[in-house]
Amino acid sequence: MILLIPSFLFFLPGKNYLDSFLRGARAGLKGAVSLVPPLTLIMCAVSMFSSSGAATALAGAASPFCRRIGIPEDVLPLLLTRPFSGSAASASYAELMSRSGADGFSSFYASVIMGSSDTVFYILSVYFSACPRVKRTGYAYPVAVASSLFCVLFSAFICRIFY
Amino acid sequence: MLGKSFGVLVIISVLFALFTGSGEALSSGAIDGAAKAVTVSVSLAGVMCLWSGIMNVLHDSGAAEKLARILSPILSHLFPGAFSTGCAKEEISSAICANILGVGNAATPLALSAMRKMDSALTGDEASDDMIMLTLTSVSPISILPATVVALRRSAGSADPFGIIVPVWICSGATFVFTVLLASACRRARRSKGRRD
Repeated sequence: MILLIPSFLFFLPGKNYLDSFLRGARAGLKGAVSLVPPLTLIMCAVSMFSSSGAATALAGAASPFCRRIGIPEDVLPLLLTRPFSGSAASASYAELMSRSGADGFSSFYASVIMGSSDTVFYILSVYFSACPRVKRTGYAYPVAVASSLFCVLFSAFICRIFY
Repeated sequence: MLGKSFGVLVIISVLFALFTGSGEALSSGAIDGAAKAVTVSVSLAGVMCLWSGIMNVLHDSGAAEKLARILSPILSHLFPGAFSTGCAKEEISSAICANILGVGNAATPLALSAMRKMDSALTGDEASDDMIMLTLTSVSPISILPATVVALRRSAGSADPFGIIVPVWICSGATFVFTVLLASACRRARRSKGRRD
């Protein structure tokens, strides 16, 4: 749909829109290449963190607290991987659904979390990787953490009403 | 910032691996991560080329400016800096549009080019309020149709795969409002602190 607009413009006489497309595309490629070095560092650290078992141990430590506020325990691995890695979260989501049934409360809650939250840390670090000048990110990470926590708690509340 | 967070994550992971004896998993994890960084960048490269090309066409034809003007009554509150100086406002408007329409793979390259533009206009080494607002609105977009989740639910044999849509609307909407309010509160706090200094 959106692709149609520039394709029509290519037929217009006067300005050379193909040229402006190619100039833009070249800039985009440069941006993608400059993303590789910082991204290597981040992906490496995140992957080490999840494969060392530290994430699962965190889940174990947090489970009594979660039981009190009404978050099903088996969703915890998903909640902890969701901010870091989209593929790991999808994997643990699929695993959860096959283990506890697609229509259980845990799966319902997990689905809402998957639908309304995002890989916060991952996206933030990719975005700031594109900015070589930024050394301090100000309040970006604290607010992102607060809003993912809000999403987790609020979803638990909403799911209890809808389920 | 990047160096510190890398350090913290690696130290925790290594300590953990020592205690639990999962050293082998750790080193293969590190290599997997490094390889994945390149895969992600390569898969991003194509869409980034496509969308920054399209963005440039929209810019040269004046369409992007029109979009920015239509959205400016709302967006100028969220991005006061960009909309008063005109820097990157076209990219920001298109990225937000793509996010709301659910075209996530279009939103990322558009937002990245907005970030790079704002970065080159930056004075000092701290991220500007507009940059932070753009990252935060990108991580909590309002999702209208969570297609992937619905598909996964259907394939897992759910009786009502679409049953989650209304709660997702409520939750993502509330999270979006919460994020924007919190970010503007932080922005105001930072401003008044800057004035006192």
